[in-house]
Amino acid sequence: MDTVINDFVQVLRRHQVRVSPAESLDALHALEQTGLGERGVVRDTLRTTLIKNLEDIETFDRLFDLYFSLRPTAEKRTAKLDVHDHDHGQPTSMEFGEDAEGEAPDSEEHSHEDSENTEFRRHFDEDKMRPSEDIHGEADKMRLSMFSQELILNRKPGALDQALQRITHQLKLRRARGMFSPGDLVTHGDGGQELPLDVSAADFQGLVDHLHDLEVDESLIRQLEEQSEEILRTLPQLIEQMVERQKKLEKKKDDSALMRRSLRKVFDYSPAEQRETEAAIRRIARQIHGAKTRRLKQDRTGHISVPHTLRRNVRYEGIPFNPVLRRHHEKRPRVVMLCDVSMSTRNMSRFWLHMVYQMQSLFSKVRTFVFVADVAEVTQFFEDSSMDRAVDQVFSGRVLDADVNSDFGKAAEQFRNEYLPSLNHRTTLVILGDGRNNGKPPNAGALEEITQHVRQTIWITPEPKWGWSLGSCDMPVYEPFCDRVEVVRSVDQLAGVAEELVKARV
Amino acid sequence: MFESIEDVRERLAEQEYVCDRRLATVVYLALKLDKPVLIEGPAGVGKTELAKSLAAAADRSLIRLQCYEGLDEAKALYEWEYGKQLLYTQVLREKIGEVLGPTKGLREAAAKLREQEDVFFSENFLVERPILQAITSETPPVLLLDEIDRADEEFEAFLLEFLSDYQVSIPEIGTVEAEHPPVVILTSNRTRELSEALKRRCLHLQIDYPSPEVELEIVRLKAPGVGDALAKELVETIQEIRGLDLRKSPSIGETLDWARSLVVLGAPNINKDLIEETLSVIVKYDRDAEKVLAHVGGGPDSKDLGQKEPTGENPNEAMYEMHRSTHKHTH
Repeated sequence: MDTVINDFVQVLRRHQVRVSPAESLDALHALEQTGLGERGVVRDTLRTTLIKNLEDIETFDRLFDLYFSLRPTAEKRTAKLDVHDHDHGQPTSMEFGEDAEGEAPDSEEHSHEDSENTEFRRHFDEDKMRPSEDIHGEADKMRLSMFSQELILNRKPGALDQALQRITHQLKLRRARGMFSPGDLVTHGDGGQELPLDVSAADFQGLVDHLHDLEVDESLIRQLEEQSEEILRTLPQLIEQMVERQKKLEKKKDDSALMRRSLRKVFDYSPAEQRETEAAIRRIARQIHGAKTRRLKQDRTGHISVPHTLRRNVRYEGIPFNPVLRRHHEKRPRVVMLCDVSMSTRNMSRFWLHMVYQMQSLFSKVRTFVFVADVAEVTQFFEDSSMDRAVDQVFSGRVLDADVNSDFGKAAEQFRNEYLPSLNHRTTLVILGDGRNNGKPPNAGALEEITQHVRQTIWITPEPKWGWSLGSCDMPVYEPFCDRVEVVRSVDQLAGVAEELVKARV
Repeated sequence: MFESIEDVRERLAEQEYVCDRRLATVVYLALKLDKPVLIEGPAGVGKTELAKSLAAAADRSLIRLQCYEGLDEAKALYEWEYGKQLLYTQVLREKIGEVLGPTKGLREAAAKLREQEDVFFSENFLVERPILQAITSETPPVLLLDEIDRADEEFEAFLLEFLSDYQVSIPEIGTVEAEHPPVVILTSNRTRELSEALKRRCLHLQIDYPSPEVELEIVRLKAPGVGDALAKELVETIQEIRGLDLRKSPSIGETLDWARSLVVLGAPNINKDLIEETLSVIVKYDRDAEKVLAHVGGGPDSKDLGQKEPTGENPNEAMYEMHRSTHKHTH
């Protein structure tokens, strides 16, 4: 079971769902409690232990359906194994053909083993399996040893089923990993499908050999061999299903095309200029306020705090020699950047994104969104990849359609609907855009609502004020909602703005 | 405490808390694994109510800590009673001579005094706040940390020790561990994202607005005065209103308020006029009220969602909004 869960977790991770090892352990413990009896319960259990962000729930549901969808074969087995479990006296039942008992040798369920079994296990630990003939390396060998071990431990026909089930399952998993890994040269055609058959044959042979080594009942082995043939016969269908499923599980294409494009340099900034930008941004950032905390902290100025003063002055017999002052501190600001990446500002937006990138690297609490007519969050790109790469990703058209006419009204509406909860009174909203809506309604209401939720709004536009009256620029409509509107076209100007802001404060 | 998931569900139902299987599963797991549960969802879907019902169903006391910005350890965990400490020092001043007795030199006196010093940093002078209460309580209570998203991030960080090990460290005394881990329920309205670390330590549960069936059941349970037909109609209407693009959709709490007010008014069925009169019960914003009325008045007493009013795109309305907003700003 744990391999299955682990593999499922791997799939989740591949789809950008963050699951920590602690959480997957939790999932396993939780499944021990609920059992695998009902699909719905398993789903809820996994969901509550693995998924902590609402955005991920949808992904989880989709993947769960896909991942645990080999129903037809699984159901047959379930029925069979339930019976086995009953006379075994254990509350475990099967689903999807996984073994509820888990493989962890120290798991509680093994506590019912008698001394004979433990002897067997000891034997195994020393033996450590045959030397490597197995093409799949250490991990798979170990797994093989585990289930063959369990098979012997149980000495029941039902165990064979489990073991075989597991073999087929592992085959599926192995296939799932191998096939789409980056740089894989295997074509997805017929050639690819034959491979697992060989693999499985090797595995079975290995298992059988191993059983011989251990001097297990001949009948048991024969039984195993018979069943293996049956499994081998049905394997192609299983694999087909698997490939089908895997295709769905696999997400986007690889990024190779994108990689190539990003080889060219996006910015030809000299290091000096970069430093200048950074310094300017730092200066601006100092002007971005966070909210006052309600928690008081000791300081040299502020109000006198009676309990603290009393406590500190106990040593002077309660005479307040040494008053304690406390005051509210200012929180670190949170910044939300909303950046226009449309055609009209294309020249600027690369500069802006550079700025955004700097902002994000300087502050921990920066979220970045880009918009044209739709809004998309790109915080992650800037965090994960290098700047050039991130900028390229933004313009690649995968995040949003960057080639339509910009429409801040619509973007603001969307932003309001989707991301309003991420704003609060500590947030500073920085909008980078020219406010040109190409004749679409400006939708000042949405912007107004957004600005009401944040501490301050700074709009940075490339166009000087006299240009606003030309063409369809909605800046005059938006301006009243912003605490500041700054014109920035270059690093110099940015530095200038920073200076202005600093002066304004003093 | 509970034997199975079904058991959880039944016992909660006894407390008039209607829940689906998912919720019951999470509650069951939380109790079995001794893990805190983090419940997220819009306001008024019964997050807090779950904690209350659970406490009642499991026959445990409920300790509630309402979080707010600026909440700190002194309010949530423990506080030394400075006043009491001072008072005791004053009162015991004479006693000290007695305790010290005839001593040779200061060193011995100091040593003797040191033997007594934990008198002043003992539990006697400790004011227990909710979390410490939950830990030291003889019978494990249900601890509700309500609206955790309102507290500061520092507070979250400080909760981590408690949430993972059910213990708190008090510098002067040491680590206080819970003998029986309390059932911890955290609720959040998602006004901000909680930290990964906190989420990782909890089971996560998302509660949303209920399905019509569940809501109908809730109305029947909690507002028994409402007739079957009316209840059905009421729930349908509410569900429809939730389908509109509102700033604040009516929650279960509002459904129940509405149901009760309809009972008070003795309304036989729901019609446009009635909705108009009682709208303030379910919708709390002007702009939302407009939308609901436009929707209800959409066709002659038909409330068909299929012909949803294009409220957002309506240019007149946009004009109205603009007018309103500029108007507001001139003030």
